[in-house]
Amino acid sequence: MRLRRALAPLLPGMRLALLVVAGLLAACSRSQTPWGLKDISGLMPPLDFTLTDAGNGATVHGKDFRGKVVLLYFGYTHCPDVCPTTLSLLGRAVAALGNDAAQVRVLFVSVDPARDTLAQLKTYAAAFGPQVVGLRGSDTELKALTKRYRVTYGYGKPDAHGNYEVSHSSAIYVFDRQGKVRLLAGPGDNALVITADLERLLQSGA
Amino acid sequence: MKRLLLCVLMLMAAVVSAQAAGPAPVTVSQARIRWLPGDLPMAGYFRITSHAPGPLYLVGADSPAFGMAMLHRSVEDAGVSRMEHVDRVTLNPAQTVVFAPGGYHLMLMQRKQDVRTGQAVPLTLRFSNGETITTRFRVVGIEDE
Repeated sequence: MRLRRALAPLLPGMRLALLVVAGLLAACSRSQTPWGLKDISGLMPPLDFTLTDAGNGATVHGKDFRGKVVLLYFGYTHCPDVCPTTLSLLGRAVAALGNDAAQVRVLFVSVDPARDTLAQLKTYAAAFGPQVVGLRGSDTELKALTKRYRVTYGYGKPDAHGNYEVSHSSAIYVFDRQGKVRLLAGPGDNALVITADLERLLQSGA
Repeated sequence: MKRLLLCVLMLMAAVVSAQAAGPAPVTVSQARIRWLPGDLPMAGYFRITSHAPGPLYLVGADSPAFGMAMLHRSVEDAGVSRMEHVDRVTLNPAQTVVFAPGGYHLMLMQRKQDVRTGQAVPLTLRFSNGETITTRFRVVGIEDE
């Protein structure tokens, strides 16, 4: 209360200053078209991990994907609804880039390595298009990556047949060619919006 | 002898009641299964409209093409996707319930035959009153959903 009284004479000036700042901010942001997806530049560390590429069984690192725009998504192959829907959406968004699609990779990281064999993950990833890469890690490798990007996952109780449900983060992280995190997409995003942002990331050279 | 007669009567009653539970008064459309490789579980999607005067309860499904079919629902909560088993789906009179990606779906497991894109697979939906409806589900490609 005392503070407010002390500040009272300053208030009109502060209001004016705030208005000026707000105006400048609006002008600045207007000069650059906003992204269709959520801009998360600088909010997460650069792309880094050690996992196994289901396509060829080789160990791969985040830095191996420098030079490509990368979409990072987590899921599991015994997921008949959300994972295929999301991967199909990303596959379509990437395919719409035409020749530039070769500059993009969709990394599908299994959060269910106990059931997802490399062979199964390879077939699954390939079904969504040539740009989709299935990745599998040991518990330690998977934990390191999911902790880095604050990705949550968990397992339900197995039923009489040993089947169990897996809950997993629905976030799709988009990294630029330098491996810097740039955008956040979700399964509800429109393919056209994703394609437009990917195109922009590719064209910006960043 | 009396007991035998009772058994026969009970059996006849059971047959009559089973016959009474005929096809469910519903319309099923856009019935499809999204193909996935190997023997991975696939999702079945459709729209169902009730023409019954009272509520109908969809409680299960089965198909000669699959060892197991379950009613499932995908739920997204605070950025986390999960799937849950659904015991029954209520269909109110004249209501249409949509089974679509990201929501209600049939989880189809343990393929008993080769399932290919373009095929039509018969699938029976079961209701709590014993009524059923059998529809052919078209197998569609991954890119179609």
